[in-house]
Amino acid sequence: MSAMRVERAPSNTLISKPESGSWQSFDIQLALFAVALAVIGLLMAWTNSTGAPLEPGSTFTRGLMWFAIAIVAFSLAAAFDYRWLRTFAWAVYLGSLGLLVMTLIIGVTINGAQRWVSVGGITFQFSELAKVAMIAVLAAFLARRQQNLGSLATLVGAGLLVAPAFVLVMIQPDLGTALVFVAILVGALFISGASLRWMLLAFAALVAALPVGWSILRDYQQQRILSFLDPTSDPQGAGFQVIQSQIAIGSGGLFGRGLTNGSQTGTDFLPVQATDFAFAVLLEELGFVGGLVVFLLFIGLIWRVLVIGWRSESVFGVAFAGGLSAMIIFQMLVNAGMVAGMMPVTGIPLPFITHGGGSLVSIAIGLGVMQSISIRRAHPGW
Amino acid sequence: MNDYVLGQPESPRVGLGARFAVFGLVIAIVVGLLTTRLFYLQVVQGGYYAGLAEDNRQQTQPIRSARGLIYDRAGRPLAINIPSYVVRIRPADLPFGERDAVVERLSSLLDVPATDIIEAIDRYASLRFELVRIASDVPSDVARIIVEESRELPGVEVDVEERRQYEYGALVAHVLGYTGAVSAEELAQLEEAGYLNDDQIGKTGVEATFEEELRGLYGAEHVERDASGRIVRTVQIVNEPQPGASLELTLDVEVQQQAEEALRWATEVVDLQRGVVIVMNPQTGEILALVSLPNYDNNLFARGISNTDYQALVEDPNRPLVNFALSEQYPPGSTYKLVTAVGALEDGLINPSTQLETGPFVEIGTYKYWEWNRRGFGPLDISGGFAHSSNTYFFQLAGGLGADRLAHWANEFGFGQRTGVELPAEARGIVPSDEWKQSVFGQDVFPGEVFQAGIGQGYDAATPLQVLNAYSALANGGTLMTPQIVRRVLAPDGSVLRGFQPEVIRQLDVDPDTLRTMRLAAREVVTSGHTFNLVDLPLVVAGKTGTAEFGVRDSQDRLPFHSWFAAFVPQFGPGQPGDPAQTDSELAIVAFAYGANTKANAATEIVKYFLQDHYDLGVDITRPDLLQRGNFYGGN
Repeated sequence: MSAMRVERAPSNTLISKPESGSWQSFDIQLALFAVALAVIGLLMAWTNSTGAPLEPGSTFTRGLMWFAIAIVAFSLAAAFDYRWLRTFAWAVYLGSLGLLVMTLIIGVTINGAQRWVSVGGITFQFSELAKVAMIAVLAAFLARRQQNLGSLATLVGAGLLVAPAFVLVMIQPDLGTALVFVAILVGALFISGASLRWMLLAFAALVAALPVGWSILRDYQQQRILSFLDPTSDPQGAGFQVIQSQIAIGSGGLFGRGLTNGSQTGTDFLPVQATDFAFAVLLEELGFVGGLVVFLLFIGLIWRVLVIGWRSESVFGVAFAGGLSAMIIFQMLVNAGMVAGMMPVTGIPLPFITHGGGSLVSIAIGLGVMQSISIRRAHPGW
Repeated sequence: MNDYVLGQPESPRVGLGARFAVFGLVIAIVVGLLTTRLFYLQVVQGGYYAGLAEDNRQQTQPIRSARGLIYDRAGRPLAINIPSYVVRIRPADLPFGERDAVVERLSSLLDVPATDIIEAIDRYASLRFELVRIASDVPSDVARIIVEESRELPGVEVDVEERRQYEYGALVAHVLGYTGAVSAEELAQLEEAGYLNDDQIGKTGVEATFEEELRGLYGAEHVERDASGRIVRTVQIVNEPQPGASLELTLDVEVQQQAEEALRWATEVVDLQRGVVIVMNPQTGEILALVSLPNYDNNLFARGISNTDYQALVEDPNRPLVNFALSEQYPPGSTYKLVTAVGALEDGLINPSTQLETGPFVEIGTYKYWEWNRRGFGPLDISGGFAHSSNTYFFQLAGGLGADRLAHWANEFGFGQRTGVELPAEARGIVPSDEWKQSVFGQDVFPGEVFQAGIGQGYDAATPLQVLNAYSALANGGTLMTPQIVRRVLAPDGSVLRGFQPEVIRQLDVDPDTLRTMRLAAREVVTSGHTFNLVDLPLVVAGKTGTAEFGVRDSQDRLPFHSWFAAFVPQFGPGQPGDPAQTDSELAIVAFAYGANTKANAATEIVKYFLQDHYDLGVDITRPDLLQRGNFYGGN
């Protein structure tokens, strides 16, 4: 078994020819799982379009537009030589922090949180882009410190990299997205070989700091967590959504009521169905089987991401795969868990399924980078 | 575990593999957890939640019954139902996050303060799935806007509902009363009877006393709704509603109008603040007219009264919401001398021809009790004493009877007890007996107080309805009737649920001859000129005036006073004048002028005005000059 190779310098062009394997190393399975999930997302956009789905500006037509943009973003990211990310890491980092600051300045306040930036009538969450950017930056940082991955300094350094983004997102305030940053950090550190001892100690320290953190939370965030603990205690506020969501899911049964036949969602009992609760609509209309299919596609997707990371034999590849899959699995846990009443109500999207251009384009970029890694791996024969 | 460092050739790749394996395990656990939860929700409990989803859409909702109508005795509609738009909110369907926006929008559309809307939503914290009323009688264009914006106004519903319309408004407001939104306290008691939290209920008048009959029975239906609360379809009617019964009042709107006009005429001539006229058939106890001024427009309440309008009514010093005909008690003055006279005759103190000397005053110790004209009338029999309303005459009778016998005869005539009329908030009145005074003041009635009680002053207090009822008993020959306001209760198909039945409180334990004597004495009140030119009316009227002092003396040592006149008209025909000796009168009337302070008896003028109008006598003998301010006593 060969040792991991040391990271090489990238070739001279940004869009480089793959070394030996060429585009044959393009991971077709990864692309298929992703497209399948995106198509399911479009189906949900169709079923959730109020009025005619084909009208300009409907959820569905906007979904189609973002789907096209995502394909382009994915292709560009795949063609781009990921190794240049090392060079551009600081630019990407500062750029993403800049986006988060901009969100705070010109962002639109919806439901008490300033998360969206509105450009030409289309709202966009920059924090979605910032998540993928953070994965790249972390991977680059870890690759640079590959000789000292197990050291406390690496751990602290990675933490300090994530901290500004975490704080900026918390100011919006968006507890959910802030936690996604933590998931990315933990995923990337863990899989690339950070010191477990230090990670556990850091975790213990965080737990100890929880009471302080609670006092920092906004009222409505505390309310959401409390209402999560007992949804029936507040059937008016967040609990209303949780109860209605569970009723929607439960009434879907094994095979669902069929697309556009959701009673809950069709009659608008489920609020914000087009965004955070899109998965509940899916579960009602496509049933348990539909939900299972979505989970299997996600498992397939994450499996390919991890395989590509493993095969890359590079710290960057491994860390990026770890960060990206941690992000996906964490968002699944939180969004699907929220919809099923296991998790508090946070505005975290389920990749592909939740409608939202920011989320789809970001995940497309992330997967594009994975393809770039796949194409440019050392042993294309694997 | 050794920290695995990438890039060191000696590092075992198996360490990295272990981490990948752990990572995979975490993913498997997460997906496994989610799958298990979904399996539980969708497959194990699927049926339960499917039921809940149905419940979300299908609700049982009450079908309101049409409220019974109210007619006068001639079948003129007094209270009818007309369609109107109401706006309601189902709090459970109004997500918390959208609440402020919805309240703000509704507030500007309906011109209702936002605080009122929030208060209405939160009033019934435990009934979040029930509709609460935000506004009634909403103009149709506003209703249309709200329907069109229903997507932005979750939980808001616009319905067409019937509301009350009172065809004669203020004219019969004190009798009809009005309906209004059920209060939280009322609801607590009536919820089991099927009242809804945005229900209407009779608040006062016959609307309140006949609430049960008027309301009918609500039905129930299953309806399917969408999330914004709009009814998609009716699935099934569980119970058909049963419309309420209608009321036919004993009131005759024409007589009511005559009575109100007479009272209003006097209030305008002399600027009276409050007054009452009641007209009754002494043979049956049917109330033909009942006017209490000031009155109020009960349509304001039927439309959903604004706070400003309500405050104005409540804060009006003359209390237009109070029915002074029966809810307040006043000293009855000389009208009460009927009681004293009958008592003295029945207890054998005097007989109809006994003469008593009347001088300027009667003394008890050093206290002087004055004749009202401060001169006296010389020797008088009972007719003369009654006709001149001689105080010194009746002081002697009251002194002879004593407090308890006087109270006994007062009670016999219905004073000190509610008449039992089917209207709310009837006052009881006061008849001062020794027992009563002991219970209130811990003393017996003093002899001087017995004098006062004998002429309807002092502690005596009666409602105008009680005074009228006593004179009705005199007119009909000794039967104290229950005054009735509702003649018949009619089912929606017109069949009679409750027919008219005169109700007797008691047969007075009085010799018919005594009452005959008093009826003739009452006629002499008129013929003697005590009531000025009432005698000129081409109609035989018998009655008794009263001037009841109250309040605080003025600079000339005079007390303000109310004036009373209670009278009856014996039956008459063409060429056949009425005979007060008979007991055939079908019209008794009382007029009460609060704080009149007029030169002559204002109440007599009111009755005069009413009678010449009511019987269309073609004469006008009213004398507005008698209604000048000044003092009744000062004038003589």
